[in-house]
Amino acid sequence: MEREQRLALRAGALSVASLLFGIVPWGIVAGVAMVSAGLSRAESVGMSLLVFAGTAQLAVLPLLIAKAPLWVMYATALVVNLRYIIYSAVLAPYFGHLSRPWRTLLSYITVDGMFALFVGRFRPDDGNPHKHWYFLGGSLLMWAAWQLSSWIGIFAGAMIPKEWSLEFASTLGLIALLMPLLFDRAVVWGAIAAGGVALVAAKLPLNLGLLAAILAGVAVGLAVARFSPGGKAGTA
Amino acid sequence: MAAEAWFGWSLVVGMALLAFFTRSIFILPGSRLRLPPTAERILRYAPAAALMAIIVPDLAMAHGAFAISIDNARLIGGLAAFAIAAATRSILLTIVGGMLALTLVRLL
Repeated sequence: MEREQRLALRAGALSVASLLFGIVPWGIVAGVAMVSAGLSRAESVGMSLLVFAGTAQLAVLPLLIAKAPLWVMYATALVVNLRYIIYSAVLAPYFGHLSRPWRTLLSYITVDGMFALFVGRFRPDDGNPHKHWYFLGGSLLMWAAWQLSSWIGIFAGAMIPKEWSLEFASTLGLIALLMPLLFDRAVVWGAIAAGGVALVAAKLPLNLGLLAAILAGVAVGLAVARFSPGGKAGTA
Repeated sequence: MAAEAWFGWSLVVGMALLAFFTRSIFILPGSRLRLPPTAERILRYAPAAALMAIIVPDLAMAHGAFAISIDNARLIGGLAAFAIAAATRSILLTIVGGMLALTLVRLL
């Protein structure tokens, strides 16, 4: 590894240091919640390693507890992961010149915090040849923090009494994660509509109410953005 | 349900594939494909809608029935969490505050 690559790796890791205060308690909660929702320890460790997507992991847990069918959980994970498609589209020009193993690694390791930092700091055509090392440094540190804190939750969480209802922490975590997503009025109204439909349609078989709620939320969001003055601001 | 080994691992492996698919869809082909603006807007509304659609029934329903009352500890805990999240944007404070509110309602 060249000196400049090493420096970029280190600078990337340093840039996310402050985000670790958010990741560590979050990982512990996810670890506890996976075990409380009924996953075995091996499955929980496998999930943090292979899936490595905190929001999707937490989103499926209330469904797992409610004994929803597998495909509903897949559909939910996919919808929650849709934001990664945007990240992938934005990052593609940055990483297009890299080898396939590099692009595979950087795809797997993309997370919200590092994406925001990286895109705010670099441009695809800024001539910096080491920015993927910066991305890797920050992402690796967040990855390691997520894995370690999840394992703490998975293995220490089993000792916590069930009456404490710690699995509720996953729903509370989703509430915290929802806030930064509510970036304009259209999204807020879409989310409110989705919540209302989810409640009214909760009795539909096969958790179809969840999917109906998401469709309603997107439709209301689009409609508000289209028909309200200024509603489009901030959506671009 | 999760006691059946295939179920838990099917969930893990399926979710792993979905997470990798969505993250790599533009990076891995390495092309300069662009998302149309309408697709981008739909992609931005869907995650918030999905989260709300999971959160609301989990707070406001109990044993398959509406449970909108101040005796519902999850509802009160969740509302407290919404307020804390809006005010502080802190994941940690939101979870701790929500759990405290849940516990308080149960004890009272």
